[in-house]
Formats: sequence, C-alpha cells, structure tokens
Amino acid sequence: MKKIRRRAYSALLVALCLLFGTGVYIYRFAVHGREWASFSGNAAVYENGRVITGTVTDRNGLVLAAVEDGRRVFAGDAAVRTACVHAVGDREGNIGTGALRIYSDALSAYSPVTGLDADGGTVALSIDARLNVAALDALAGRRGAVALMDYTTGEMLCMVSSPAFDPDEGFDELDSAYEGAYLNRVLSAAYTPGSVFKLVTLTAAIEQFPDLYERRFSCAGSLTVDGNQINCTGVHGSQTIEQALANSCNCAFAQLALELGGETLAQYAARLGVSGRGALDAAGTAAGRFDAAADGSAALAWSGVGQSTDLVCPLAMLRLSAAIGNGGEAAAPTLLRSGNGARERLLSADTAEKLKAMMNYNVVSVYGQWNFPGLALCAKSGTAEVGDSSSHAWFTGFLDDDAHPYAFVVLIENGGSGARNAGPVANALLQKAIELSDGETP
Amino acid sequence: METLTGLVLMGSRVLLPALALWLLLRCVRSMLQESYEPEKWASLEFSDGATADITHWESIIGSARSCDVVIPRAGVSRTHAALIRSDRGDWRLYDLGSDSGTANGALRDEGDGLAVHDCDILFFGDTGAVFRVLDRDALLAGSVRRSMPGQFVSQAATLLILTVFQVLLALQLVSVAGEHAVSVALSFGVLVLAQWSLYLLMRAMDRRGYELETLAFFLSTLGFAVCASAAPAELTRQMLLFLAGVLMFLLLGWWLRSLGRTRALRWCVAAAALGLLALNLALGRTVNGAANWIRFGAVALQPSEFVKVAYVYVGASTLDRLYRKRNVFLFICFSAACVGALALMGDFGTALIFFVTFLIISFMRSGSFATVFLAIAGAGLAGMLVLTVKPYIAQRFAAWGHIWADPYGAGWQQTRALSAAAGGGLLGVGAGRGWLHSIFAADTDMVFCLVSEELGLIIALSAMLALTAICFFAVRSAANGRSSYYVIAACAASAMMLVQLALNVFGSTDILPFTGVTFPFVSRGGSSLISCWMLLAFLKAADTRQNASFSVRLSARRGRARPGDPAPIEDTDDDGGEEEVDEP
Repeated sequence: MKKIRRRAYSALLVALCLLFGTGVYIYRFAVHGREWASFSGNAAVYENGRVITGTVTDRNGLVLAAVEDGRRVFAGDAAVRTACVHAVGDREGNIGTGALRIYSDALSAYSPVTGLDADGGTVALSIDARLNVAALDALAGRRGAVALMDYTTGEMLCMVSSPAFDPDEGFDELDSAYEGAYLNRVLSAAYTPGSVFKLVTLTAAIEQFPDLYERRFSCAGSLTVDGNQINCTGVHGSQTIEQALANSCNCAFAQLALELGGETLAQYAARLGVSGRGALDAAGTAAGRFDAAADGSAALAWSGVGQSTDLVCPLAMLRLSAAIGNGGEAAAPTLLRSGNGARERLLSADTAEKLKAMMNYNVVSVYGQWNFPGLALCAKSGTAEVGDSSSHAWFTGFLDDDAHPYAFVVLIENGGSGARNAGPVANALLQKAIELSDGETP
Repeated sequence: METLTGLVLMGSRVLLPALALWLLLRCVRSMLQESYEPEKWASLEFSDGATADITHWESIIGSARSCDVVIPRAGVSRTHAALIRSDRGDWRLYDLGSDSGTANGALRDEGDGLAVHDCDILFFGDTGAVFRVLDRDALLAGSVRRSMPGQFVSQAATLLILTVFQVLLALQLVSVAGEHAVSVALSFGVLVLAQWSLYLLMRAMDRRGYELETLAFFLSTLGFAVCASAAPAELTRQMLLFLAGVLMFLLLGWWLRSLGRTRALRWCVAAAALGLLALNLALGRTVNGAANWIRFGAVALQPSEFVKVAYVYVGASTLDRLYRKRNVFLFICFSAACVGALALMGDFGTALIFFVTFLIISFMRSGSFATVFLAIAGAGLAGMLVLTVKPYIAQRFAAWGHIWADPYGAGWQQTRALSAAAGGGLLGVGAGRGWLHSIFAADTDMVFCLVSEELGLIIALSAMLALTAICFFAVRSAANGRSSYYVIAACAASAMMLVQLALNVFGSTDILPFTGVTFPFVSRGGSSLISCWMLLAFLKAADTRQNASFSVRLSARRGRARPGDPAPIEDTDDDGGEEEVDEP
C-alpha cells in the first residue's frame, strides 16, 4: 500500500496543471479584463454595436445622453440635442466619433472587482451645451464647423458641425440639405486652408529668415512664377511682413514660399500638425495634406498661400492657434471635462510671441476691432478657393486674455470671405463664452 | 419593493462569494488539514520482540523500504509476500516470488496463497512472526481512539452555511425569474431538502464525514443557478436528474462497501461498458460534431458519461493482483477499445479524459514510467492522425489562441464568454442578470464563464477549488486506504473530474483548444450530472476516517463509540447530547 500511496501523487499532477492553468487565466483576467469587457460583442454594453449603458453630460452636468428603461435617451431640449449630436453621437451609432463611441470604456464603467456596472458610468464632456447651441445658431444653417478650446488645458468648450440633426427625430436621408450630416466636420473632414495656412509659412519664415522684419514685400496685384500667374487680392505695394499678413498678400507669401522651398515648408506643416493626422482623445481626425512641390514651381508658390493641394482639418488649425495663444505649447485637444494633460511644444515662445503680435495687428488694422467689441483678439482669416469659383470661409485665432483663454476655429463651406462671413460667427461665440464665463465667476 | 430587491442584490453579491469561500475553507480544513489516525487490523510479533502493525487490508511484506511491513533481514526478499484481508475478515498470505519462500507454520505457499488465522506463525524465509488479529474489543477500542470527521469542524454548520448560500442565491434568481419563479423556488427547496435529508440519513447511520457531499451539493447549487438562468423551463428535469444522481451515488456507494462483490462484477461492468459504446456507435446521434448521444423516446443519454464510471470501476485493482499479475495488458485493451470508440464518435474531449485517467490508473497499477511514456507517444501519434482526418477538430485547434483575431467567426463563442466573464468581475452581476446565458452552450461548455459573469470570478474559482480539494483528499486518503482498489478508484475518479474540469474551463477561456466537455456537477445535462455523483461514490469508498463514510463498513460493529462508554451496543443511534444543534 505504501507504493500505491506514493503513486497516488501522480493524480496531483493533474491538479497542478489545473492550478497552473488557473493562474494563467487569473493573470489574463487581471491584464485583459477591461479589454474583454469592452469588446463590442458584450451584450451588457453593446446592442448591435451601440453602447447601451452609461450617461454623458456636458461640462456643467447637463445630461446629454442617458439610459432609461434600457433605452438610450438624449437631452430634453431639441436645440441642445441637435447642437450636441456630433459630440455625443446618435442612437444608431452612425456618428463614429461621438462620445458614445469613443468613451464606451468609461460608459461601461468596468472595474475588475465589480465588473461592469449595471447603470454604466458617467462621462462628463468638456463642452458647454449652451455654447454649442450658440455656435449652431450663428452658423444659421450654413455647412461648416465651429470649435472653441481652452488653450491652457486643451478642453473643447464647443464643437459643432453643420448640418446637424435632432437624434430623436432623425432626418430624411434623401434631403440634400442633410448630406454628410453624420460627419463631424471639426474632426473628420479636411479642407483647402487658403490664407490661414499663411500662419505656417510665416512661422517658417520667422525662424528661417533673421532679417524678415527688415524686409519689404512689393505687390503689384499678381506675380508670375514659372510662367504661371499668382493672383493677389489687391495691389498692396510695398509692405512690411506685418502688413503683408494683414493684407493676406499672396505675392509676399508666394515669394516666401519660393525662398523657403517645398521641403522646408513640408517640414513646418508636419511639425505644426496641419499636414498629418491628429486626434481628439481616442478619435483620430481626418488627415491634412501638404505636398512638397519642386523648387521654383508655381505649385510651390500656391502651396505657400494655402492653395494647390493643401488640406487642413479644422481641429489641426484650432490646435495651431491654441498653441500660439499658449506661448507655443499645444495642450492636446480633449473632449473630457477631466482633460488629458498631454502637452507638446509646437513653437518656441519667441516665435509664438511674434505670431501673436501680428495676428492682433490683423484684427486692429484689417478685420476691425469694432467687429469684435471688447475682445483681445488675435486672428487670421482665410478665403480658400475651391475651384468652382466659390471659397471656404475660415477664421481662426484666440483671445490674448488670461481670464478667457479661448482659441477658436470657424469654417464655413463655400462661405465666401473668411473675415466677413466666418468672423461674425467667431465673434458671436466668443462673446457668448465670455458672458457665460463671467456670469459664473463674477 | 424595487429598493428592497436592489438591497438584497447588493448585499448578496458580496455575501455569496464570502459564504462560498467560508464553506470551501471549512471543508478543506476538515478534509485536508486535520490529522486522522490509521486503522489497525492486525499485527506481526517477531521473535526479537519487535511488533509491526498491519494498517491496511492489503499489505506488502519484504525488506525494501517501500513495503508496508519492512523486515530488514538477510533471506527476506525485497517484496516478499502479501497479506490480504477479505471483507469477511479472513486473512490470506501470498508469496510474491520470493527467493526463500513464505510459509504458515509448516505449509509453504505454492502460488494459491495460504489462509492464516490468529496466532499462526508465519515464516518469511527464516524469519518467523506470530500473526495476531485484533478481536472485536480491540478493534472497538482502536476505533474509539481515532478522530472522527466533524470533531474539528462541525459538518452541520458547514451545511448550514451552504443553505444560507442557497437561500440568497434563490432569492436573487426568483427576483428575475418572472413566470419561472415558482419552479426556481421549488427546485432550490428540493435541493435544500435533499441535502439535509441525506445528512440526517448519514447521521442515522452514524456517519459523520459530509465534506464531499457538501462540496458536491455546493457545485450542484451552482448547476441549478445556471439552469435557472439559462434554461428555466428545464429546471424540473434538472431537479429529477439531480435526485437520480444522488440516488445512484448512494447505490454505488453501498455496492462498493463490499470489495468481494465489487471485484466479482468487474468483468460484467467492462462488458456492459463496451456494449454501451457499441450501441452508441450503432444508434448514435450527431450533436455538434460528436455522435455521442442516443435517444430513447423522450430521454436522451450520453452513454460515454456512464462508461466513465465503468472505466474507473474496471480500472482499479487490488494489490495482490497487481503483484501477482504484473501486466496491465487486458486493461490496456479495454482502454484502447473505449478511447477508440469515443474517437470514432468524434467525442475527442471525452477520449482525452479517458486517456489521462488511463495514464493515472496504469501508473498507479504498474508504477512504470515506461508504460506511461509509451502510452503518451502512441496517443500523440493517434492525435496527429485525428487532426489530419477530422477537419473540424483541426479547425478548433487553428482557432486556439487566436479567438480575438476572429471574434465573429471561429472565436465567436469564446470571445463572448470571456467578455461576459470579465464583465462579471470578482463579484458578478447577480444570478440571472447576465447576458451570456442566451448564447448557445452557455450552460454547458461555457458554464465557467456564465458562473463568472453572474456570480463572479471568486465563486467560479471556488467551484474549481472544490473539485481540486476533492482530488487532494483522494490522494491523502491513499495513506490510510484499506484496499488499493479503493485508492486507485478514488484517485482515478477525482483525476477524471479534474481533467474534465480543466478541458471545460480552459477550453472556454482559450487556454486549451475547445473540446466541449462539461463542468462536473455544474454544467446542465443529465448523464453528466449522474455520472459525477457516481464518481463521487468512489471517493466515499476510499474515505477510511473513523465513522466517516457510509460506503465504508465500520471496523467493529458498533455505531457511536465514545471514550468511557460501557459495553458496546449493536448499531443503535443514540443521537443526543451532541454539540450540533443546528439541525432542523
């Protein structure tokens, strides 16, 4: 029997294998549990790929999306529902970059101890629903994108895309007015930047040409490059660099581009984040584009003034403006109230300071301070020709105001002149933001 | 009402794992931690005054240290003789091919063994010893000295913990059961009633060891919860099968009491097992790739589940046979027939369970690593062949480790199982409140993840630990086993359950290839539930702690024995004045 007893230990080998396997499972459970739980096949979180749990609020705690009796419900006010639809997402999951999609992890509220919370988690967004409503009002039905960011933290205070729709009502898919309504134009589209790209060319010139401020730029209304004519918006004569930017003089910036060369400009476009792919937390943005054209070519001249094949995503433009406002350091854009804390230096403090001064000069000398009453505004407009004789209206910039550290971007598709059409939208939004901010902290 | 349900749910989510762990810990302490003295049956008194106790029904005598009675003298072979006791208390002495021979007085063993009686003088070569059998009074005195289960850890209190667990679980289930609330309550009621009735029956028989049953009832409780969650309409069926399982457990346990009749029936059982497999091959119905079901009217059976029990029954062997007929040839033939039939059916999970059990039984019988390695090599080749011939098995192997690469195809079930299990966390989302139960095979192949989702990882792991503890208990019991038959059977049965457990749990969690076998006691399914209860009977038969098991005859015909008791009284139950007052 003693022998049998010793041989009996062989049965424990099975037990040991079992315990080893259990150890492997516990390890995987601890390491991958969150991943497993948020898998799109988890029926506690997803129904046909849509998150069916959790609450989304705006920065003031206003409920934008919740679950009642197992059904997804949105804000009670139709205007809020519509203005926030791209930030929050819709019931069917058609908006790929909405909070319901990109924060599904936080909405499912997983904890290794209690697992998934039956009620889900709460995600507080950085946006203020009232600003979204104001921005959508200001767009007045025009297609486009509007975003406002606190450039010290990267929090998106406002993010609106038009056309928008009420997620409770939906829209007629055949109605051309709603074409592309599922697209969040702030993130998921890239447009010809036109003159707002001059900020990139200017940044390169400031850093590459020490004598930039001593130079004079002459403009006779057009410039011939490699047998092609570069048109300007007017005849600006002899200008300093400040005046050339304020006039948004194509001749001056075409010359700068030719002198910088395609490779250098491409490097700056990439460094400033306008030609690559950006991100809003976990959501990737549409990619921008900048092709380094051959030295001395007309294409190079056009690319330096934001035409040619240039494309920029509105969020990338906003991030650049925010970085200039924040002394050269870009806080990573975030849609979360809690922020994400990531930072990246795009420009030296010195360059940022110079750009800031010139962008303020734009407002004072050309856009008109009376159009932006009370705002310490630094801005750049863009009127991007898009080939069909219309143009996209851009207006981007920031407030040089510690109490209101707001950067913004406004884009109106086929909206005509940037300063004239996009500028008032920016003004309306900034005035509202200051009013709301001062109202809360008197 | 809403808030009350919420409160009960909240509280029970924490309480259930705590109760499960407490229960498990008490059983483990009682079974594995406390020490229990060996039985003593007889002794050998040598001429130099030395005395050797005979503590088993089967003892090997020789000069090797691995013998039960070691005689370190010249002329005594390393394994010299075997001293065997029958059920009736008759002793026989067998020579094991010693150089110098074995004799009782003047009679030498010529190969058929010698009957030996009290005061006979046995010779191992030149060494003589007086054989003394303990008489009834001595046996009784011995049994009085031995510790009994329940003496350290009250079995009734452990069962009470289980009952609280069951009540809380039933409350959770009833609150979400809707139209099935009555049958949920009823089935849990029957469960509680069954376990207490069995407990009282055992007490009436003066048997105190109830840890194995408690663990099995704990696992069955989880099985009921799984059934209530995934297939509430099947609860009545599950309840009847459970009762059938307990009944079969009692019958087999009672049958195993007598080694003689158990051994006599081995060939019949082997023939029946092969017949059942042949019938299955002839009439088998293919369900999910494996033709392992046969249907009689409304009753569907999986014969391979019963063959498992038969396999252990046939595979175990007594020590005298092991030493006198060293080859395991017939057993290998029987095993090959079983595994071959299962492979033909396409039931490779079960074939694998049989194979590992075969390895353990053949090693315990032969002690030969060569046999084991040869078997593994042979099975490895056969396995390769299977993979090339049966594409659907190869496909499962291909998906193994890559389930997340194809969550909507080959990894469909397991990705969902893991996702749900993770969603349950440590404490679970509450019985009946998960979603995995609506996935195909969630209550059988994926049951570990279903339990993990609804009751939490702690309870799911407790279920695994309960079975592991049973295996450790089998190995521990081997030290005091009466016959090697019971020891081998217990180790084989518990290892069989563990292999099955490992294939089930690790298959569903993508640690091993997915084979689709059941989780012992927990998976919904009739044949499997009954066979698990029957396998448990083998463990009861090996539990030789004093007054522990109904499947083990008392060494002296006297029930309760207490120090200072007057003259023994025949088998009456004088229950009373005991410390356990929690019985209903």
